[in-house]
Amino acid sequence: MGDLLAPDIGLTVWTIVTFLCLVGILKAFAWGPLLKSVEAREARLKADREGAEKARAEAERIQKELEAQMAGVQAKSKELLAAAMRDGEALRARLKAEAEADAAAIKAKTTHELAAEKDKLVGDLRKEVASLSVIAAEKLLRKSVDAGVQKSVLDGFFRDLDSTKKAGSN
Amino acid sequence: MNFEHILAHHLVDHKTSHKIVATLGPLGSVDMGLSPLLRTMWIACVLAIVALTFAARSESSLARVMRSMFEPLALFVRDDILKPIFGHHAGFYLPYFLTLFFFLLTCNLLGLVPHMSGVTANPWVTAGMAICTFGLIQFAGVKEQGLVSYVVHIVPGGVPLILWPLLFVIEVFGMFAKCISLCIRLFANMLAGHVVSLAFLCMIFIFAEMSKAFGTTMIIPSVGLALFIYTMDVLVSFLQAYIFTFLTALFVGGAVHPH
Repeated sequence: MGDLLAPDIGLTVWTIVTFLCLVGILKAFAWGPLLKSVEAREARLKADREGAEKARAEAERIQKELEAQMAGVQAKSKELLAAAMRDGEALRARLKAEAEADAAAIKAKTTHELAAEKDKLVGDLRKEVASLSVIAAEKLLRKSVDAGVQKSVLDGFFRDLDSTKKAGSN
Repeated sequence: MNFEHILAHHLVDHKTSHKIVATLGPLGSVDMGLSPLLRTMWIACVLAIVALTFAARSESSLARVMRSMFEPLALFVRDDILKPIFGHHAGFYLPYFLTLFFFLLTCNLLGLVPHMSGVTANPWVTAGMAICTFGLIQFAGVKEQGLVSYVVHIVPGGVPLILWPLLFVIEVFGMFAKCISLCIRLFANMLAGHVVSLAFLCMIFIFAEMSKAFGTTMIIPSVGLALFIYTMDVLVSFLQAYIFTFLTALFVGGAVHPH
């Protein structure tokens, strides 16, 4: 076994030369491209991760914005609904009041027309009754009365009738 | 042939040629002869270059599968070893440490293949790796701190001035000790697996010398135990590559960030 430990400087020198040459060769041919591809992949992964984080932050921001907008829209729609209900209520009340006023006006007008019609009818009836009464009186008295006498008799009759009516109503 | 001869045959590197001789300054003439161990080391290098380059550059489905195997290991070295120690300096040292990890892993695993030599089970190979680590510690220290600051910060701050020279010597020895421990740890761990596997297999022949029936009976338990150790060696290969890389990063990190 002594041979194993016998100095072999030549082998040591060969080892150093071989190893240093190998460092140079591998650095030129293998490590450069290998490390470059590894670094490129790492850079790509880093960029992807950063992109994903950025996109997530953007999505969160948009979501918050949308939520805020949604809340605004809800508040506004509530407000609009309340305003619409208020307006509706006011319109209903106004229409009701107008309708009531119209109805009252129509009622008053109708009452007035009815009263006028009644008065007219009463007047006509009086004239008819008077005429019939005169005819009846003529027939009764068997004598003809001229128009002047007829009018004075009728006027006297109506006065008596009105006074009788007033006395009756009192 | 005794057990020691068997171990020497399998584990000692035998040079196949002595024709290449280099003169390296104070070391004088150094035999740079080729050997099976060097052949295995270079096969490991070629395998690492081909597999990693193919995985990194090709767009075929096989390359994608290989890339999905290598990338987690590379990311482990980067994120779990280098980044906690070096921080933003990690990128500069990453190719060195990735190569270190994959070189040691390939050599460790190739040492388990028949007809290949246990490259990292040789102390002179691991010594070479430890020298590289030592060199990197000095380089990183001087590069990041500047020469004067690096030398001053070899000794921890707050030490009384009178103790400074003593601690400087201790720290410098400590620096060497760290690298020597790296060398011995890797070599001993990888060697141990081979020694134990061979020991279990040799038990067959030791018992067979007593009685042939004994030897035959020992075949199944010996091979079973050797296979178990072999499986453990696969785990140890990953573990030792990680430990060597991690400790190197720790030592270099200590020089880069002295506080």
